[in-house]
Order: sequence, then C-alpha cells, then structure tokens
Amino acid sequence: MLTLNVVAPPSILPKFSAQPSKHQFNYINYRLANTGRRKLKVSRLRSNFWESIRSGFLKDNSTQVVESPSTLEEVEELQPEEFVLVEKTEEDGVVEQIIFSSGGDVDIYDLQTLCDKVGWPRRPLSKLDAALKNSYMVATLHSIRKSPGSEGNDQKKLIGMARATSDHAFNATIWDVLVDPSYQGQGLGKTLVEKIIRALLQRDIGNITLFADSQVVEFYRNLGFEPDPEGIKGMFWYPKY
Amino acid sequence: MAAAAAPMTIKMKACCGYGGIKAMEIRWATRKEYSSKVSTKLKPRIPIFISTNPSHINPQELRDLYGICNHSCHRFPKMDKMGKLVEPVDIKRLSVALSHSALLVSVFCNEEDVLASDDDCGNESEPSKGETPPVLGLGDLLHRVVPLPVVSPSTGMLVGFGRAVSDHGLTASIFDVMVIPSLRGMGIGTMIVKRIIRILTSRDIYDIAALCSANERLFFKACGFGDDIMGSTTMMYTRTLSTHIEGDQMFKYAGRKLLLVPPLRQSS
Repeated sequence: MLTLNVVAPPSILPKFSAQPSKHQFNYINYRLANTGRRKLKVSRLRSNFWESIRSGFLKDNSTQVVESPSTLEEVEELQPEEFVLVEKTEEDGVVEQIIFSSGGDVDIYDLQTLCDKVGWPRRPLSKLDAALKNSYMVATLHSIRKSPGSEGNDQKKLIGMARATSDHAFNATIWDVLVDPSYQGQGLGKTLVEKIIRALLQRDIGNITLFADSQVVEFYRNLGFEPDPEGIKGMFWYPKY
Repeated sequence: MAAAAAPMTIKMKACCGYGGIKAMEIRWATRKEYSSKVSTKLKPRIPIFISTNPSHINPQELRDLYGICNHSCHRFPKMDKMGKLVEPVDIKRLSVALSHSALLVSVFCNEEDVLASDDDCGNESEPSKGETPPVLGLGDLLHRVVPLPVVSPSTGMLVGFGRAVSDHGLTASIFDVMVIPSLRGMGIGTMIVKRIIRILTSRDIYDIAALCSANERLFFKACGFGDDIMGSTTMMYTRTLSTHIEGDQMFKYAGRKLLLVPPLRQSS
C-alpha cells in the first residue's frame, strides 16, 4: 500500500528568521500587486487552443505521435479549470463531491491544517501565501459534503494540493504535493500530479523536476518520473557560518 | 527561425537594486597562477562588470552566449556526435523565461580582454588580440591613461550569465549559469552564483536548489551546494512512448526527449 504522504517538504529552516522584515513585506506586496495571475483572463483564442489539442486525437485506435501546437504569447495566463472529479452518495443521502481546481484559490489556514495532518513542519504563513501566489500553477482538491435538505449548508474541506513553480518556458519544479490521509489511496495524488504535468507539457515546459522523499519515490516512478536521469541531480545551498 | 529585428525588451516584474545591494558593479576576475593549462597569452587579471539589472541583457547576445558555451535550456538537448548542440536556443522562449525569472545576473568584460578563439584557449601560434588592439579608440586611450577599469554593458561583451526562478516565498532554483570558455577558472561563475545567493537570502529565501549534470556538480559544490540534507531524490519526468497504453498518445518534445502527455481521465 503506497503512502502518498509526503514529498520532500521544501523549506525546513527553523534556524532562520521567521519574521519578514518590514521592507521584505513591502517587496512581497509589490509582487502580489503586479501579478495579475489570479484574475481570470478569458483568452479569445481559448476555443482554438483546445480545439487544436483535441484535433490531435485520431478516430482510430493507432498510436499517434502528435505534437500539438502551442500558442505562446496570447495564452499568457494559465486557463484555470474546475470540475467534479468524484461523486459519491452515502447511505444517509449525503452526497460527497471531490472537486479539482487549478484556479489556485487556497485558504492559507486550511492549507496549514492540511499540512499539520500529514505531519509537515510549520512554515510562516506570509511566506506560504507568497509562494502560492507566485507559483505557476496551484492545483487543489476540495471535498464538498451536501446533506439532503440542508439547503446549501455544504461542508467544504481542502483535502489535497500540489503546486509547481516555473519560468513559463523551459523549467518547472513540482512542490508540496499532499493529500489528506483519510483520502489517500484513491488515486487523488496521482490526479493532481498528472494534471500539473499535462498543463506544463501543453505549454512545452519540458524540464519537470521534483525532489521526492524516499517513501514516495515509487509513487513518482509510477507516474513517469525517473530518479537522477542521466546523472542529473539537485543540489542545495548550505550556508556556512 | 529568424531573430526579431527590433530589440526585445524583457519585462521584469521584480525590482532590483535595493536593500543595500548594488545592482551593478565593477569587480576584478583573477586567473589562478597554478593552472598549467592556461596559455601565457591570457591576461591574469581583468576588470568585469557584474549586473543584476535585466535591461542590461540583450536577448540576441544572450542567445549567442548560450551557443558559445554550448549550453541548452533543455536538460536533454539534441546534440551531434561531437556533443555540440544542434539548434540554438529559441529566442522567444528565452525571453519568456527571462521575464519570469526572479533574478538575472549578467557579466560583461572588455572585448580585448577576451581571447578571439572561444574554443581554443591554448593556441600559441595565434597572435593575442589582447596585446595589440588594431584600432586605438577612446576606450583604449582611457585604459592607458586612466588607471580605473572601464567596463560597461554597452561597450563590453556579455561573457557570463546566471538566473534564478523563485516563488518569492519559500524556494528558488538556479539555472543556466555559464561563462565563456576562455574566461573560465577566474572565479566569474562563482561570483555569479554568490550574487544570486546573496540576493535570494536578502529576500528571505534560503531554500535554494540547483539542478546539476555530472560535470556541473563540482562547480556547485565549490559554491557551497551539497546533497539534500533530508535525503530527497531528484526526479524528472521522462515518460515516453509506451506500448502498454492503448489508444492515442499525445507527446511533446523537450530537447531530444519525447514526453508523453498524461491522458485525460474520465471522472467516475
């Protein structure tokens, strides 16, 4: 049984200052103000873009090598998606839906609760917030429980997340893949990662990297990741005092 | 593909030159005396101009630098039998990458301080251009008259580069650190990496990664990088054509690798 628990938690440096300096915080605000990523820009080329992807699929069953055209400049912003991934009706009539979203709307406190559940060390909230806002893509899974006759009193809970940073052209790194332990083993983590890979490759971002904890190396191998391909390894900076 | 005729500007969202760190300055690069492979015609000490100002970078010049250094943006680039890159970096995509990098470091030096041949530093028979410049321009006169080093991005040649991508909160990754072959071994590459680290840490980002191929590892080790303290495994997506999967498979080229795009799954 695979434990899709943890990918290498990125920053684990309790030694360093957790308080951003005042100047530092201003810098973050500057970035947030100028990053219009969360605003949904409906591209006029949207239908053409998806059509060109779909047209790559042939009607017959033969394996086809298809290079779908990628529009670059016009489709600058990532097209956010949101849909129901799984829907289950329980005996008492409660309907539970698991919603996938790439719009990146994450409540920081919900995320911290989720990180606690999987046992990750706490990270400063302001840094977490900045990291999410400046990520190329943030994919989330929410569980919505609708009781019959509750009249819209749905219970919404964050149960999974994954994000990727990128230079929007060549390189991307996937960080912070996590799924609520009570929802693990259903292929949800797999869906999150595959969605991100798909979004990256459709923009021709081909160097997709991640740093995996030993217990999840197999999980990523099954998704198509290779450890140290051709001797390429990640190295990390260590401050010397 | 043709390079754009008009110079492309890089739109940078980040500001630079703050917190007491100079955005650009003149430094000296010194060649270590003990290197026996170095030709005596190479200058032992040259002034260089190091900058973090993105407007100092000319995309075409940068693309040429990638070519001179035989460096690709793809981790698995197409190469010929001699190990040389088959195609130059796509300048449009390079500009996109630059505008989404948190930090750009560029290094310039005077053209006469660089040997003419980029692939052969030890050619003794070739007269060194550094000793007798053909035309005496004002810059040359200044060099002789004024003891101060005169290097600037507009008059100098781009000889070194490095960039970092970050989420401006928790993590950063360093990419594409390069120095032209004839000026290696002078500490320029280390200067670039140290500058990147200094600026990232001043922005309170301490989780700094660098993806290295086997021959880059020693360089980064010397810059203070090491294996992950948590023992994580570096993994890259390399899934390609599969005979096990039925139906249509969509692919994307990444250098010489053909990567499988994960198919859309039907929701249950």
